[in-house]
Amino acid sequence: MATTQNPKFHSPADLNQALSLLQDLGEPAFPVAGATWIMRAPARGQKIDGTFVDLSAIPGLSDVDLAEDKVSIGAMATQDVIAGALAGHADLAALMMATGYTANPAIRRAATIGGNICTVDFAASDIVPALLALDADVEIVSPGGISLMSMTDFLAARPTLSRASLVTKVVIPRRGQTSTHSRVTLRKAGDYPVANLSAAITVDADRVIRSVAVAVGAVEPVAKRWTGFEKALIGRKLEAGEFREIAGNYTGEFEGRDDTGAPGWYRIRLLPALADRAFRFLQKRTA
Amino acid sequence: MTTRLIINGEERSLTCDPRTPLVDVLRNELRLTGTKNVCREGYCGACSVHVDDKPMSSCLLPVGTLEGRNIVTIEGISQGDKLDAIQQAFIDLDVVQCGMCFPGMVMTLRAFLRDTQSPSRDAVKFALVGNVCRCTGYERIIDAVMSVVGANEVTE
Repeated sequence: MATTQNPKFHSPADLNQALSLLQDLGEPAFPVAGATWIMRAPARGQKIDGTFVDLSAIPGLSDVDLAEDKVSIGAMATQDVIAGALAGHADLAALMMATGYTANPAIRRAATIGGNICTVDFAASDIVPALLALDADVEIVSPGGISLMSMTDFLAARPTLSRASLVTKVVIPRRGQTSTHSRVTLRKAGDYPVANLSAAITVDADRVIRSVAVAVGAVEPVAKRWTGFEKALIGRKLEAGEFREIAGNYTGEFEGRDDTGAPGWYRIRLLPALADRAFRFLQKRTA
Repeated sequence: MTTRLIINGEERSLTCDPRTPLVDVLRNELRLTGTKNVCREGYCGACSVHVDDKPMSSCLLPVGTLEGRNIVTIEGISQGDKLDAIQQAFIDLDVVQCGMCFPGMVMTLRAFLRDTQSPSRDAVKFALVGNVCRCTGYERIIDAVMSVVGANEVTE
């Protein structure tokens, strides 16, 4: 049996045990996935405190299953494993790039997709906008059962989800889209993004954009879809370009957050350039 | 709670708080001070160790999550007096300055060269994204790595 005797640290052997622990231990207890956020608490002026419920011993939570119609990614799958599994799949490029080209190699070996999307205070996640653009669903297990909710609904619900609930997997439908992820950091390597953007499109035989999803992260406290820009692109030929100009008409949808990394106005200022970069990439990938 | 780890080939039992970062356990409990305690955010790479053959940032690993795992630190890289090829190249090409980043560099590079055949200079730089050096400007580090690539002397 993997559950330990230390009152501040538990390693449940299965999901039911983990949920019971979270429910019984209450407020001080929290689930620990890759631990990269909690172990950086001192850098945020906080203590590494509370009761760890370590999920790493629970089987089946790290699987990545690629099928023709969907991809299922276990919540404990690490970024490096996800990036490797999705490499070469143009429809999933947004998530491959968000997991494989961010942070640094050691972080990517520890950080999990579940931990990333569950961290409410992590505004600069690259994975969250990628999952928004790919229309992902999130599976949540609780004592009441299993539920599946859209990424948008999950982001709205996550601050108030029951303490005794766990994200167990992310499911992405495969609809023949082409996707990408772009980001701007202050330095070239290792930094959180000042702004990021994921996009997924389908085009018809005349290369007219038939469907488009654009999601923006790091600009506001929670990533979201860029709906005005999306609507403006539907029905346009991909080669018509002018993405920067069009995007510039819809930056009013955002209220940029200020922090020590960058002021809010600068984050918003970057968006047309990010959009231009992303859609130029999509022009080439769909050619 | 006792946490059992295999560190540099030796089984060790630890009774510290399992939430303790591995870097603190290595340095303060086991006196393996080759692993350096610098940023404590997983950014600089100075605390890199191998966990089951993978380079990881020991500042971000609660020791309780590592039950039964195989940990190798910089002290475990050389074989007695015989340095690893990367360590020797750093000496031969006079690369080391203050020394704080180099244990982490060696740990990252050893695994990278083990897993990558004939890497380019750019590939080496990309592999070192998580290892920060404030002294050298990196080019001599890359020169040393490329000299090892040419000699094909990385051993398991």
